[in-house]
Amino acid sequence: MAAMRARHKIRAPRRGVSNANTEDFDSIWKVLSSSLTEINTKNASTLAFEEIYRHAYKIVLMMRAPDLYEQVKQLEQDWLQNNVRTLIIDSISSSLVRAQKSTDAQDQSSERREAGEKFLTVLKDAWEDHQLGMGMVTDVLMYMDRMVASRTHPPIYVACMALFRDHILRPPVRAGSALTVMGVLESTILFMIQLERSGHIIERPLIRHCIQMLEGLYETATEEESSKLYLTEFEPAFLETSKEFYQAEGQRLLEMGDAATFCRLTTQRITEEEERCRYMLSATTEPKVLELLDEHLIRNNIDEVVNLEGTGVRRMLDHDQLEVLRNVYTLNKRVDKKKQALTNMVNKRIVEMGKEINASSILLPQAPASASSVEKGGEKKPEKEKSKEKPQNQQTVSAIRWVDDILGLKRKFDNIWENAFASDQGMQGSIGASFANFINMNSRNSEYLSLFFDENLKKGIKGKTESEVDVLLDNGITLLRYIKDKDLFETYYKKHLSRRLLMKRSVSMDAERQMISKMKLEVGNQFTQRIESMFKDMTISEDLTTSYKEHIARNGDPDQKPVDLEINVLTSTMWPMEIMASKDGTVQLPCIFPREVDTLKQSFERFYLDKHSGRKLSWQASMGTGDLRATFVRPNGKAQRYELNVSTYAMVILLLFNDVPDGEALTYDEIKSRTRIQDHDLIRNLQSLAVAPKTRVLKKDPMSKDVKPTDRFLFNHEFHSPFVKVRIGVVSGGANKVENQDQRKVTEKKMNDERNGTIEAAIVRIMKQRKTLTHSQLMTETLSQLSARFVPDVNMIKRRIESLIDREYLERVSEDPPTYGYVA
Amino acid sequence: MVESTQSEFVTIVSNDGFEFIIPRSAACVSGALRRSLDPSSKFPEGISGRCELGEFSGVVVEKICEYFCYNEKHKDQVNVPDMDIPPELCLELLMAADFLDT
Repeated sequence: MAAMRARHKIRAPRRGVSNANTEDFDSIWKVLSSSLTEINTKNASTLAFEEIYRHAYKIVLMMRAPDLYEQVKQLEQDWLQNNVRTLIIDSISSSLVRAQKSTDAQDQSSERREAGEKFLTVLKDAWEDHQLGMGMVTDVLMYMDRMVASRTHPPIYVACMALFRDHILRPPVRAGSALTVMGVLESTILFMIQLERSGHIIERPLIRHCIQMLEGLYETATEEESSKLYLTEFEPAFLETSKEFYQAEGQRLLEMGDAATFCRLTTQRITEEEERCRYMLSATTEPKVLELLDEHLIRNNIDEVVNLEGTGVRRMLDHDQLEVLRNVYTLNKRVDKKKQALTNMVNKRIVEMGKEINASSILLPQAPASASSVEKGGEKKPEKEKSKEKPQNQQTVSAIRWVDDILGLKRKFDNIWENAFASDQGMQGSIGASFANFINMNSRNSEYLSLFFDENLKKGIKGKTESEVDVLLDNGITLLRYIKDKDLFETYYKKHLSRRLLMKRSVSMDAERQMISKMKLEVGNQFTQRIESMFKDMTISEDLTTSYKEHIARNGDPDQKPVDLEINVLTSTMWPMEIMASKDGTVQLPCIFPREVDTLKQSFERFYLDKHSGRKLSWQASMGTGDLRATFVRPNGKAQRYELNVSTYAMVILLLFNDVPDGEALTYDEIKSRTRIQDHDLIRNLQSLAVAPKTRVLKKDPMSKDVKPTDRFLFNHEFHSPFVKVRIGVVSGGANKVENQDQRKVTEKKMNDERNGTIEAAIVRIMKQRKTLTHSQLMTETLSQLSARFVPDVNMIKRRIESLIDREYLERVSEDPPTYGYVA
Repeated sequence: MVESTQSEFVTIVSNDGFEFIIPRSAACVSGALRRSLDPSSKFPEGISGRCELGEFSGVVVEKICEYFCYNEKHKDQVNVPDMDIPPELCLELLMAADFLDT
C-alpha cells in the first residue's frame, strides 16, 4: 500500500460540486422551486433533468434534505390549493350540488349527467397531471428521497398523493358546506352506474379513470392494500346503493309475476355486474357485488319465483321449457349448493304427476268394473260376454298404461335433467327419490310392472329390432329399481313367466333371457336364481319329451292309437305353484282321465320313474292343453271335421261324449262325478265349451250364462267355424291379468309368509356370525340385508325375533340394552 | 439521435465535451440516468436521449460508461473478472456512483 501510494497519488475529488460553498440553500431553492413550478405547469421540456437533479443533490449535500422535503411539500400544497382546486370547484356545477340533496335521481337526469361528465373529466385530468408531475418531481428528487424517506417520512411521491387527497378531494365544495369533492365524486359515479343499470350508455373509460384514481390514493402513508380510498370510501357506498337497487329490483321483477322473465333478467344483471366490475370498477368488487346480488335478488326471491302461480317452475316443467329451467337452475345454484327450492318444486311436481298417473290407473278399471256389475243382470248374451272379459282386460291395459305413463314421465324428466340441470348429481338423486316415492304409493306397482313385461314379451316386441327391445326392457328395469318390494315383483314375474312358458306365449326366448340377465345385473343373483331354474326345467322337459317319444317308438304297442305327449316336468319349489294348486286348499283328488289318456300317463310315469327314482310326479291338468279331432254330423248327413285345441279339462269333458250315444245329454253332476274335476275349473271349462258364442261345441239346457248343477249338456252337431283348427280358450283363465281382490289377498298372504321366512333366515345368519347383538344393531343389520329385496316392517322383524326366541334359536342375554344371543 | 424515445442507444456527455454512446439498457443501470432518460417523463433528456453530466470530466465519465457495460455484460453471473479501476479515480468514481445512484 505504501508503495502504491508513493507511486500514484490519489486525486482528491473536487469538493462535491464546483463552488458549492459559494451558493447557499435559499438561492438554490429559488432555482429549484421555479423548476418545480414549471413541471406543474407541464413545461418540463425546457428544463434539464440533470440540472434540477444536481441542485437537489447539492442541497442534500448541505445536509438540508429535511428542509427541502418540507419546502417541496409546501410548494405542491400551495399549487394544489391555489390552482388545481379552483379548477375543480369551478367544474362542479350547481346542478350537481343540488342533485346531491334531492332524492329524485331521474329528475333532470340528462342535465345532471352532463354536469357530472364535465366534472369527472376535469377531475380526471387534474389527477393525471398531478400523477405525472409528481412522478417527475420524485425523479428529480430521488437523491433527497434516498436520504429523507424511509426513516421518518414517506417518500415524497406518497406525501404528494396525500396532499391531493387532503387538499383536492377532502375539502368542502363551498365554504361552510359539509359536501366534499369526494362526496360529489362518489355520488356522481353512483349516479352514472344507476343510469347504466337502467339501460343508458355511459362513458365507462371516464369512470374507470376516476376509479383508478381512488385506487391510487390511500388513507395512510404506509399504503396498505386495505387502506385504498376506493376500498374505504367508494366501495361501501357502491355496495350500499347496489343493495338498495337489487332489493327494489327483486321486488319489481316479482311484481311482474313472470318467472321466466325474472330469471332471464336476473341472469342478465349478473353478467352486467360482472362486466361493470371488470371494465369500470375493480376486480375485487366483483365477488362482493355478486354476493349482494345473489343475496337480495336471488336468495330472497327464488322460493317465490319457483312457486309463482302460472309461470313458476311447475309450468316450465309442464311445458318442457328447458332454456328457462336452465336459468332457474343456474340461479338457484348460485345461492344454494343443494338447489333446495328448485329440487323441492321438481320433486313436488314429479310426485303430483305420478299421483295423477296412479289415480288414473285406479280410476279407469273401477269405472268399467262397476258398469259391468250393472250389466251382469242384463239378458243380452254378447254384451254379457264382453263385459265379462272387459274389466279384467281393461285393468291389464291400464296397468300397462301406468307403466308407459311413468316411463314417459321419466323420459321427460331425464331430458330436463340432462339439458336444463347440467346433469346435476344431487338433482338426479332427488328426482329418482321422487319417482320411487310415488311409484311405491301404488301398492300394485310390482304387479303392474310385471304385467308390462308380460305384455311386451308376449306381443309388444313383435317386429321390433333388437336394440328397440333392449331399450324397452331397460326402461322397465329402471322402474324396477324404484320399486321397494322387489320380492313381490319376483313373485308376480314368476307367475306371469310360468304362464308364458307353459302356454308358449312368449314371442322370443332370447328376449326372455335378456330380460333375466338385465334383472340379474340390477337386483342380483339371488333374485333371478329361481327364474333361471324355471328356464332350465323347460329345456330339460323338451329333452324328456323327445326321449319319451323315442322310447314309445321303440317299445310302443303298434295297435294302440298313438297319442302325442308333450310334457313339462317342473320342479315344484321353483315354480309358483299357487297358480296350479287348488284355491281353497282342500285335498284335491286327481282328475279321472279317460282311458286313452290314462294309459299314456301311466306309460310316461313308468318311463320317467325309471330314469329318476324317488321322485313324485303330480299332474297339473289345469295347465295343459290337448288337440282333438272332432267330427260333427250335420243334419243333412254331411260330416264336418274340426281340430279343436282345448284345455286338458275340456278335452277330458269332450272325450266323455265319445261314450254317450248321439243326442243324449249329460248333466253337470254326471260330468263332475265322472271326471272329478273341481267345480271351479269345471264351470269355467263348460262355459267356454257351451256358452262362448264362437266355440259352442256343446249345447246347454237351459240356455243361460251360469252353469248350474242341474244343467244338461249335449254334443252340438251344428257347431260351425270358418276355420278347420279351432282354439277354445278357457274363460278368464289363461292370460295374465291384473288380479282381483281375492287373488291379491292370497298373493299378499303368501308374500308375507315368504317374507317371514326370509327375515328369519337373515336374523339367524346374522346371529350365527355375531353370537350376541343388541336389539337395535340386529334391527339395522337385518334391514340392510333385506333392503335389496323389500323393505320389511319393523314390527314384522320384532315378531320374528320373538318367534325365534320361542323356538330356542335365540335367547335374551341382557335387558338393558336388550341383547340377544345365538343358541347353537 | 432524434428518435430518442425508440432509440436503443443514448449519449452521455461529460463536462469537458466528451460524448459516450452506450446502449440505453446499460445506462439504465444508474437510477438517476434511468429516470432522466425515461421517455414518458417530459424532461428534455428523455426526449432527446442525450444526457449531460455537468459534474464529471471525460475521464470519469468514460470509466462510468465502462462500468455500465461491464455491469450489463456480467449481470446475474458469478465468478466474474474484476474491473480495472485506476486508484487515482477511486474517490471521484465513488462520488459519481453516489450521485448517479448506481
